[in-house]
Amino acid sequence: MIGRMLSYQLLCSDLDTGATVRFMSDYFQDAVSTLISLLTLFSFLAVMVLSLVWLERKALGRLQLRLGPTRTGPFGLLQPIADAVKLVLKEDIVPNDAERVIFWVAPIIVVISAFMLWVTIPFTPGIVVENLENMGLFYIGAVGVIGILGLVLAGWGSANKYGVIGGLRAAAQLISYEIPLIMVLISVAIVTQTFNLVDIVNLQSPVPFVLVLPLGFVLFFVAGLAEVGRTPFDIYFAESEIVGGPFVEYSGAHWAVFFLSEYINTFAIATLTVLLFLGGWSGPFLPSIVWLLIKIYAVILLIFWIRGTLPRLRIDQLMAFAWKVMVPLSFYLVVCCSVYVFYEMPWWALTVMSLFGLLAVGVIIYRYITAPARKVAEVRERLRSLQMTQEE
Amino acid sequence: MLSTVKGMIQTLSSTFRGLRGPVTKLYPENPTVVQNRFMGFPGLTWDKNVDEPFCTGCMVCIRNCPTQCMTATMKDNPKFADESSKRRKIVDEFEINLNRCILCGICVNVCNFDAIVMTHEHEESGISRDGSRMNLSGLLEIGGRYQTQTGWQPSSKD
Amino acid sequence: MMQDNSENQTIDMMLNMGPQHPSTHGVFRMELRIDGEKIIDVKPHIGYLHRGSEKLSEGEQYHQVVTLFDRMDYLANFNNELVYCMAVERLLDIEPSKRTEYIRVILCELNRIASHLLYVGTIGLDAGAMTPALFSFIGRDRIQTLFESISGARMMHNYFKIGGLKEEVPTDFVSMVKGIMPEIRQDIDQAEKLLTFNEIFLSRTKDIGVITADQAIDYGLTGPCLRGSGVNYDVRKSEPYSVYSDFEFDVPVGLDGDCWDRHWVRIKEMDESLKIVEQAINNLPDGDVESSLGRRLIRPSAGEVYVKAENPRGEIGVYIVSDGTDKPYRLKVRPPSFCNLSAIEPLLQDSWIADSVVILGSLDIVLGEVDR
Ligand code: SF4
Ligand code: SF4
Repeated sequence: MIGRMLSYQLLCSDLDTGATVRFMSDYFQDAVSTLISLLTLFSFLAVMVLSLVWLERKALGRLQLRLGPTRTGPFGLLQPIADAVKLVLKEDIVPNDAERVIFWVAPIIVVISAFMLWVTIPFTPGIVVENLENMGLFYIGAVGVIGILGLVLAGWGSANKYGVIGGLRAAAQLISYEIPLIMVLISVAIVTQTFNLVDIVNLQSPVPFVLVLPLGFVLFFVAGLAEVGRTPFDIYFAESEIVGGPFVEYSGAHWAVFFLSEYINTFAIATLTVLLFLGGWSGPFLPSIVWLLIKIYAVILLIFWIRGTLPRLRIDQLMAFAWKVMVPLSFYLVVCCSVYVFYEMPWWALTVMSLFGLLAVGVIIYRYITAPARKVAEVRERLRSLQMTQEE
Repeated sequence: MLSTVKGMIQTLSSTFRGLRGPVTKLYPENPTVVQNRFMGFPGLTWDKNVDEPFCTGCMVCIRNCPTQCMTATMKDNPKFADESSKRRKIVDEFEINLNRCILCGICVNVCNFDAIVMTHEHEESGISRDGSRMNLSGLLEIGGRYQTQTGWQPSSKD
Repeated sequence: MMQDNSENQTIDMMLNMGPQHPSTHGVFRMELRIDGEKIIDVKPHIGYLHRGSEKLSEGEQYHQVVTLFDRMDYLANFNNELVYCMAVERLLDIEPSKRTEYIRVILCELNRIASHLLYVGTIGLDAGAMTPALFSFIGRDRIQTLFESISGARMMHNYFKIGGLKEEVPTDFVSMVKGIMPEIRQDIDQAEKLLTFNEIFLSRTKDIGVITADQAIDYGLTGPCLRGSGVNYDVRKSEPYSVYSDFEFDVPVGLDGDCWDRHWVRIKEMDESLKIVEQAINNLPDGDVESSLGRRLIRPSAGEVYVKAENPRGEIGVYIVSDGTDKPYRLKVRPPSFCNLSAIEPLLQDSWIADSVVILGSLDIVLGEVDR
């Protein structure tokens, strides 16, 4: 960002004259400025990840009537740093049978894809590495999928059966949930008629899209949870079943890289939720970046809260949920948005349509997921009648 | 759905409860409070009246210990000769391998002289296996600490 | 075992679950043959925690064997001590005093609650919810602190003596137990509310790992695993031992024999246990808890005895052969966990990998008892 501002000044004359001729030195300056802004982004994300680690441990601790980290620094604030140092200093064990190249490349793929997502995510209209004007959303949808490859490779390369199962689970889960995610992105793009994230946020200034597209918000959040493998969708590294899935053989710095990418992805999903549905950086009184961070952390706390409450789904239930509920509903959403744009309806019409969809999803989920509960109720009823007959 | 929401509300309320008073405590700052009857490692007691251990080295506890973790030898009590003590024999060497001790308290139950007690000692971890072999002086030390801490008195059965 | 022989053939994969696996409840190993995510065959391996308790008992005097029973099912120490003491008492033909029996029952039922609370935590962990485990440990800790103030140890108590108790309970025993009862009730509520009727938990456990009543009887299941299948069999009711016939309590019974029913039976059992504790503490007789044997060496006359009791995990049986010396000639335990675990093969057939840990969790085994 700073680099970018710098380069704007350097290229000022170019811009003034329409920038038809650019010399090699200009390209060089451009590259340098991009590099600087990327580095800034990197360090910003690192700080964010550290804060997330601390927040997660502390929030989960409090949810469970524990203290969370306390030893390292005031309130255990330095705990993530201690964690990181510990992980980096640990021995990096590579299993004998592992496919070495794949084993080494997999974490890099994962973390690079996690970082690439951030290139086009704006923090305020001014602070963005490269606001891809015409293809911001498109780019996010495209880049977001690369991480799956890394996970599958990690599972395969570590020559561990838990790893293979985990990798395949990851592929199945992430690809399934990618579809509703992208459909929601498309419907947002249809409504706003742009792929530009800055424009999308600016268009939300009177009414945030969570009111216009409540269904979209829910779909995006749920699919996002599944994308980053958060409870109740932490199937692919389910600790109690396949002991960490693709990461089972990784240790030390390699594992730290996976860890890093996981948190970056969580942060990205929370940020995208805020940008697309919660009005981004707009808000009264406070500076825009503060508003953005407040909203992001609220979403993240919600994610942690869910993690502290719910058990995990099973893989077949998860897939059924994706293909029977999420995908049809996301298509429905796209159709709604197209109709809305085509007939130029007022915005609340879309809300109504979206709410209708939400109602449908509520009913479907309710019926699907409470089938056992209803059975239990039935059983209780039978028991009660049994007891009554006995008493008589 | 409903029950899920209920669960979410419950964890939220427990968060606020946890903020007011978390259940867990920081360990070295808040040392574990042991109950009166807590059975820590066994220790030997000291007869303050005569200034000698209660233990006579009679080996009853050693024969009754389920893990055979103790050894003892006895000797003639020098204080018996000058009539300052009623004990004819007194313990000479006593060793308990605290690694093997299972803290069952049988030795305390079988001892006829109130010579051995389950102390409140429970933080005996060390870095060498040898360190947990307690000899007579060590056992008397932790036993003596127990005596002063709890005001232990021998029961008047003998 | 192959599902289909069309061109889309898959090959089986062997997957070793355990002995170092977070969800096998100790050191249990399952050799799974899986086809994708489905389990088509399972071979259980036990014995990693074998300490030879039965053989060791032959070398210990009768009063020392109690310590071994403490360590067999390390989550239900008092219950184990009780059944052993009862067996030797029957061998000696002595009766402990009424007060002893009442205190024993109170402690055993509290221990049952502690054990079931731990179960709630572990089934939560197996299903992927980490919070119930921490909630349930609050109640368990309360009970264990009570045990510590009574017996001196939190887990390996060695408090029941043959014919009596080691020492009289503390003077404030009654008020202590009465004091923690409402708190325990609250803790149970808090721990299980997150799970029992949670939709995701229901979908993970209802109709999973079904075992019919006939099958359950054939496999020798006892305890909540048998009652979950709808068989009303509880040693405390059918052949009341100790003073259980004095108390009024129900035996909760499931219907379908799936994981959820086993879970539900355990939750309800905790309530029943609290009921028993309440009745016992209100009618606690006065008297002596000293054993009538005093400190004499225990030397039963030659003979044999089989005594059974209801542990948190099921029916435990102790068979002792005495040859007239101060040590048992032979001691055999019928461990409930071992018999319950024997049903793992039919239960896991054709289930998902994710279900395997939940099913194993719902059997609630203690490896210390399985391997002895
Ligand atoms: S502690 Fe007691 S039983 Fe053991 S040797 Fe000393 S006097 Fe005898
Ligand atoms: S407590 Fe038990 S194991 Fe330890 S020394 Fe005494 S009798 Fe032996």
